[in-house]
Amino acid sequence: MKKKIGVYICHCGGNISDYVDVEKVRQAIENEGGVLLSKTTMFACSDSNQKDMVDDIKNYDLDGVIVASCSPKLHLTTFRNVSERAGLNKYNYVHANIREQVSWAHSDDKVGATEKAIHIVKAAIAKDRFAESLESNVIEARKAVAVIGGGIAGMKAALTLSDMDCQVYIIEREPYLGGRIAQWGPLFTTNETGKDLVNRLYDKLASRENVIIFKSAEVIGNAGSIGDFKLKIKVTDQNEIIEINVGSVLMATGFDPYTPKDGEFGYSQLDNVITLTEFKQMVEQGDKLLVYKGKVVKNIAYIYCVGSRETEGENTYCSRYCCTSTIHTALLAKKKFANIYNYHFTRGVRTYGKQEILYAESLALGDIYLQSNEDTPPDVFQNGGKTIVKVSDILTTGREIEVEADLVVLVTGMVPRENNQVGTLFKLPKGRDKFFNEIHMKLRPVETVIDGVTICGTCQGPKNILETVNSALSAATKSFSYVSKGVLETEPIVAEIDTEACSWCDACSEACPFDAISKIENGTKSIAVINNSVCKGCGMCTPVCPTDAIDLVTFSNKEIESMIDALAND
Amino acid sequence: MMSGQQINSSFDALVVGGGIAGGETALNLANNGFKVLLIEKELSIGGKMILLSKVFPTLDCAACITTPKVSEISRHPDITIFTSSEVRNITKTGENNFEAVVVKKPRYVAVEDCTGCQLCEKACPVSVRDQYQFDLVGRKAAFIPFSIASPKAAAIDIENCVLCGACEKVCPTNCIDFTQETEEYLVKINTVVLATGFKLFDPLMIPRFGFGLYKNVITSMQMERELAPTRPFNTVLRPGDGKVPDKIAYVLCTGSRDASVGNPVCSQICCMYSIKQAQLLMGTLPMADVTIYYINIRSFGKGFEEFYQQAKGMGVNFVKGKIGKIAEKENGNLILRYEDINEGIVKEAEHDMVILSVGVLPNQDATGLFKAEELKLDPYKFIYQSDALESPSKTSIDGVFVAGTASGPMDIPDSILSAGAASSEAISYLIRNK
Repeated sequence: MKKKIGVYICHCGGNISDYVDVEKVRQAIENEGGVLLSKTTMFACSDSNQKDMVDDIKNYDLDGVIVASCSPKLHLTTFRNVSERAGLNKYNYVHANIREQVSWAHSDDKVGATEKAIHIVKAAIAKDRFAESLESNVIEARKAVAVIGGGIAGMKAALTLSDMDCQVYIIEREPYLGGRIAQWGPLFTTNETGKDLVNRLYDKLASRENVIIFKSAEVIGNAGSIGDFKLKIKVTDQNEIIEINVGSVLMATGFDPYTPKDGEFGYSQLDNVITLTEFKQMVEQGDKLLVYKGKVVKNIAYIYCVGSRETEGENTYCSRYCCTSTIHTALLAKKKFANIYNYHFTRGVRTYGKQEILYAESLALGDIYLQSNEDTPPDVFQNGGKTIVKVSDILTTGREIEVEADLVVLVTGMVPRENNQVGTLFKLPKGRDKFFNEIHMKLRPVETVIDGVTICGTCQGPKNILETVNSALSAATKSFSYVSKGVLETEPIVAEIDTEACSWCDACSEACPFDAISKIENGTKSIAVINNSVCKGCGMCTPVCPTDAIDLVTFSNKEIESMIDALAND
Repeated sequence: MMSGQQINSSFDALVVGGGIAGGETALNLANNGFKVLLIEKELSIGGKMILLSKVFPTLDCAACITTPKVSEISRHPDITIFTSSEVRNITKTGENNFEAVVVKKPRYVAVEDCTGCQLCEKACPVSVRDQYQFDLVGRKAAFIPFSIASPKAAAIDIENCVLCGACEKVCPTNCIDFTQETEEYLVKINTVVLATGFKLFDPLMIPRFGFGLYKNVITSMQMERELAPTRPFNTVLRPGDGKVPDKIAYVLCTGSRDASVGNPVCSQICCMYSIKQAQLLMGTLPMADVTIYYINIRSFGKGFEEFYQQAKGMGVNFVKGKIGKIAEKENGNLILRYEDINEGIVKEAEHDMVILSVGVLPNQDATGLFKAEELKLDPYKFIYQSDALESPSKTSIDGVFVAGTASGPMDIPDSILSAGAASSEAISYLIRNK
């Protein structure tokens, strides 16, 4: 049992101390058994406080450290490192969350918040008394990365990884690389065509010896974990299943364009209502005249935010790329074909950053912009064989304006892939918007909670090409850093079997989501055995064991029970 | 003057700018085993982000995200940091070799000996405006830049110092040293990442908004300081008379989307930071009315539109219309004359505090760095991305990359991804040219 624990209670500059009386918390815990030192601090994570902590650990020879601050998601690693730097094994550090779980959640009740904070810190102390020094598991990391999805994000990531002397496998579901961009014409801002951009990347990739491309292929199986994922790949028309081993997996599975519902702004009911995707192809393929179903197109109405920024339904988000993409395509049409009149029915144009210049050019060339609110969308209907788009335009004080359109283009946004089996295969979490979710938008923007799996491009959320490539390169760097050294340290937090108490009933292996538990013969009986490199320390197995034969390192029964005692004690 | 001293010729990369993009780049490179020299012109690394309050759309406190990164950067064995330093010029000497002249300005404090005790601050008789609080309050000529600065050490503002020696007398570690001189170093590197960041638009350029004339018209960066955990007043108040405001207005697109002030582009961050500040203000001052005057609300990123809708739900008042002119009443309140787009008429509204949501301008610090090669700029004077769609961090010079807002306006998540891209290109470049 520890006797020299140091406890630091953080103000978080007011995030905590505005609602929790941190000095009162300090006083309440300073005489707890095992506590040698207790302090409050303005920012526990600041460089100067970290230095003070290192000094304290050394000067007082502390054997346990607790910081009561924000979520461990943010700073568990920060303070473990502080401990390490002071020469104290990092598993003697215990984190107490009194921000997300206390000050932010109970900003209406300062007295109650302070009480709760005291309990949470006492529970952390109770746990720390039993904490033990542990060594990280060191595992081999294969210097190879699987890139899933061969669109612009996947191709660019693969190329960079190849540059970094890393073996790369690209797994693409379609029979060709390049994704959606391969079919696009001139792109904003460079005016290079999508086809040329993709070809440029493809030519580079094709000459690389360390890049293997599987087309018409899907990942159908995944075993193993960071450092050594064992993937099964099925290639269409081939009977054999290919197996590869990689240290990291980079997800670049892209998006689906939103498909309008039947009748949404006349889609699939009126014969001249099409989507942005279809319109892009029309402009690309057309010559001299823009013709749709045998008729020359003159007036084009663009209806923005179809399937994006919905007030009800799933797609409450903005799809980010569509304003610029539409204006760009509308200008292409105007320049390529004679007598084109563009009418943009927007919800407020979002040509952010330098894209604003494109909007200014479009205005200068005479494109007409109208705007409506979310509750008064434009109306598309037929009158005397003509298609009319009508809107109450807020730019002209709500005047009702009608445009007779030869073609109505629905500006369809990005939605998550409908067929996203591969995400399920890797157990990747999704956000509110159903796109894959990163751990933290600013601190760890391309990492996922599944160690060794990175995400980039539009499978993570809507992005334009430049943003997609930036995220692909970031993910490549991250995946590379997992495998570059050949070895990896992993958490020693794994389940342990008490061979005496275990009498193989299979309950634990059924509960295990990572297939880390199997059966072995041990003398006269069968018992469970844990594969440490696969076990994630999730704890699913411990409560289902009828004989209490499984304990989790750092979350042992005695630690958890002592925490519960501290929490329950008044 | 120690001229042309060669400190270490074995840096793999030179990163110019120690803000969030430069810091992230330095960390990515160092974590993959490369040696980095990081040059920052200010007294602390952390850039603008370290001075912010909370960040959208997650409302994490900016310091909580920045300080641990700053801490990691400052103690990484493979990162050498020079603060209050500038790169004078960079010359390409070979296929993948550059030489750079780095000038380190004297701080007049031996950083390694300073304990940050602030006794010098107390002893110093000179008060000047505090640039790290954006002039809201004063500081001394002997001062610690700000409480979470890295390094957290005093500095002497020699331009305002009266050389009275009071600080030297009280310093318990004798770390103040007026004999320090400008030092010049010649360093050899293999690749360069430019992360020189951006400048904020100076609203004095728009006299009709009355900034500098009316005390209760402030910039968004000043409000950012008023809302930060290390805030100067410990509450939000208007500078004119110290009154807690209860009718606050935001003027979006101040110096953005405005060719008349030479900046036709959208600054990409102002809508969101203003919406964030409005939400924070409603938390700090529950009785206050907050109105945002806008042209378009551009909440385009992940979780941004939802954040905008949340602000509407909290009662932030959004008015579509541009501000023509701001006038001051005798009591310090302000009259905003604006075009109400919804009603199609010109109206006036009274507010007791106005925040100008100032935009992003190019920081041209990197412009003159290269003598022999041409570092191209885009039409708006940001660093030109020579292959914007395939390699966004490539510049017009092979082996020189750009990270963050040096290439154009972007928010923090995009800056970090851009830094990731620049690191990736720099690592590939270093490995390819090994």
